Amino acid sequence: MTDLQNRSGDPGGDDAAEGLAVEPITQWDLFTARMRRHRLAMLSTVFLFVVVFISFVAAPLLKCDKGATECEFPRLWDYTDGLRDDGGRLLVNIAPRGPLPFGSDEIGRDVLSRVIHGGQASLTVGLVTGLLVASLGTVVGALAGYYPGIIDQASMRFTDLILGLPLLPVAIVVGRLLPELTFLPGWMRAGPWGIAFLLGFLLWGSLARIVRAEFLSLREKEFVEAARAAGASDRRIIFRHILPNAMSPIIVQTTLIIGAAIIIEAALSFLGFGVRPPTPTWGGMAASGARVAARGFWWELVFSASALVTTVLAVNFIGDGLRDALDPTQTIERK
Amino acid sequence: MGSYIIRRLVYGLVTLLALSLVVFLLIQASGGGPLDRLKLNPRMRGVIAQLTEEWGLDKPVMQQYFTWLKNFVTPADVRAADGLTVLFGKIGIRGSMPIILILGAGAYTVGTFLAKVAKPWWRPFRAFSLVFVWFTAIWLAKSRLVFSLSWGDSFRGDGPVWDNIFGAAGATFRLGLTALILALLIGIPLGIYQAIRQYSFFDQVGTTLSFVAFSTPIFIIAVGTQLLFALYLEKWTGVKLFFVAGMSDPSYASLSFLARMGDVARHLTLPALSIALISIATYSRFQRASMLEVMHSDYLRTAKAKGLPRRRVILKHALRNALIPIVTLVSLDIAGIIGGAIITESIFGWPGVGRLYIQAIDAVDYPTVMAVVMSIGAGIVVMNIVADILYGVLDPRVRYD
Repeated sequence: MTDLQNRSGDPGGDDAAEGLAVEPITQWDLFTARMRRHRLAMLSTVFLFVVVFISFVAAPLLKCDKGATECEFPRLWDYTDGLRDDGGRLLVNIAPRGPLPFGSDEIGRDVLSRVIHGGQASLTVGLVTGLLVASLGTVVGALAGYYPGIIDQASMRFTDLILGLPLLPVAIVVGRLLPELTFLPGWMRAGPWGIAFLLGFLLWGSLARIVRAEFLSLREKEFVEAARAAGASDRRIIFRHILPNAMSPIIVQTTLIIGAAIIIEAALSFLGFGVRPPTPTWGGMAASGARVAARGFWWELVFSASALVTTVLAVNFIGDGLRDALDPTQTIERK
Repeated sequence: MGSYIIRRLVYGLVTLLALSLVVFLLIQASGGGPLDRLKLNPRMRGVIAQLTEEWGLDKPVMQQYFTWLKNFVTPADVRAADGLTVLFGKIGIRGSMPIILILGAGAYTVGTFLAKVAKPWWRPFRAFSLVFVWFTAIWLAKSRLVFSLSWGDSFRGDGPVWDNIFGAAGATFRLGLTALILALLIGIPLGIYQAIRQYSFFDQVGTTLSFVAFSTPIFIIAVGTQLLFALYLEKWTGVKLFFVAGMSDPSYASLSFLARMGDVARHLTLPALSIALISIATYSRFQRASMLEVMHSDYLRTAKAKGLPRRRVILKHALRNALIPIVTLVSLDIAGIIGGAIITESIFGWPGVGRLYIQAIDAVDYPTVMAVVMSIGAGIVVMNIVADILYGVLDPRVRYD
């Protein structure tokens, strides 16, 4: 850190005089330097990339639809049919061992492949919700913060309304009815997309408030005034001058929302109002795992729950790391 | 201030109206209806026709909505009751104690606030406000007044929605209040200790654990505690310490007082702990942060510099100001606790509002669904306002505009 600061303190006049190419220290460099100090966040980033890779790239490649008996090696990756032994009996509730490292569930499906495929639903919900929240919240917050008066009033009242909704009860009602809402397109009624849109719509309020507060304070700053005096348009001021300075709370809050969305989706699936079976989800697996765990078959619950918790934990650690790294006044004290 | 509260209440009302409309329309927009199950049986055709007419299901959607809305705010029954039942539907004076307590605490807070800033004439009443509300409630109960709104009958055939909800509310309050108290008792001291010993081993472990706690969905915590502390504990050690379902033993009525207490505790501990755990993590994080902020302030340095004992500096000078943000957080966390209760209640078979809600949703019993959503929504609106007011009371720098 110290050498970075020294270099940024001295804008490299000597080097330039000697005719050497000088690499300027950008905000990005400072950010990555601070981020790298946060070991847990770095570890979590790597972990999350692995999870995303496995769920979105590896899982579809290894998927085998042909039925348990016809898949050679990928037989392990079949997750819709129950696995059968040579005599044709279902391998129900098999404890983890050899070819079934995570065991099998109550109708004989391989838990490992379901855990792997289950990541897709959770991550889709998390990422899509995050994206929706980031865009909706930023737009509404920016408009409210930049244009005082009627726009501010109207959009903030609407934000209050959204924030006043009881999250889980509403999510449960909508989640329960989602497949039956005939006016929605099919891809939204089934899988994780509908849940993602629902959560995105319910969760953007807090971000809009944060962005509005940022905009309110930034729009009074001298550099904005200078830009305005130079004749910059509103659009340019918002996008080029204010928004880049408001990015850090947006990024941090979005990360937290991603974690929250994954948790809420899992809770909905657990209650049976989220992504419907047979599509595997970690929440849904935890629900069926919990039913058999009382009889001593702990593996489905334990593996799906650990996948879920570690993923959310990774997201939250990244959020924590980003918060520290994006704060320019932060001096790094943590080990 | 008064106009501020009124404005907030009006916004809250608008929120509730929007909420009711959206939920109502969604229920109507879905293909399934409350009578779908009956349709499987051809002999039920007559019953279906009769119920459809009785419940007004054949009317246009908006008409149904306005009928519902009108009924929802119309008193159904205000009369003297017979027997020892009372204030809130069926639950009786003991069942309504938590509600009365909360009303009392609310009145006390408002009373304190009024005495502090607003009306000098209120001052003598301040100390009595709690007692006052308490006695009013008891008097109302004793006078055998029954009050209910015409929320209609449940579509599942288990009687009036009003009675069901207030019956279940007692159970949810018992669970939620216990969880809240547990969370406060554990979370706040934890946060304080972490702040005092910043970067110590204890602090690091606490921080990591609280990260894990709020990365864990509540259903995993609930199922986990249920399995570990009840089922597996019994399996491994043979000790049956906690129960995993219900609120009390079937033989509850015949137990002695002490046995009753024990029975309640053994049923209550696990679900309450599951709900409390996430709140413990949240409170301790917040308490730690606000404590650290205060510890670095100038007046605290002054207090240390003039040689006050450490204990006094922390407990008296630091803690008072560090507790302020927590008060707001706790009022806002009520929504989280209710949300947690929905899931925990259905896992632990706790006969509260949350389980009622899930059952009602499964059966498309929309009078119950609407009533629960509206009650929870109203609770959140009120708690948000309370949070704002409390913040103003505790921190004189806050001004309302």
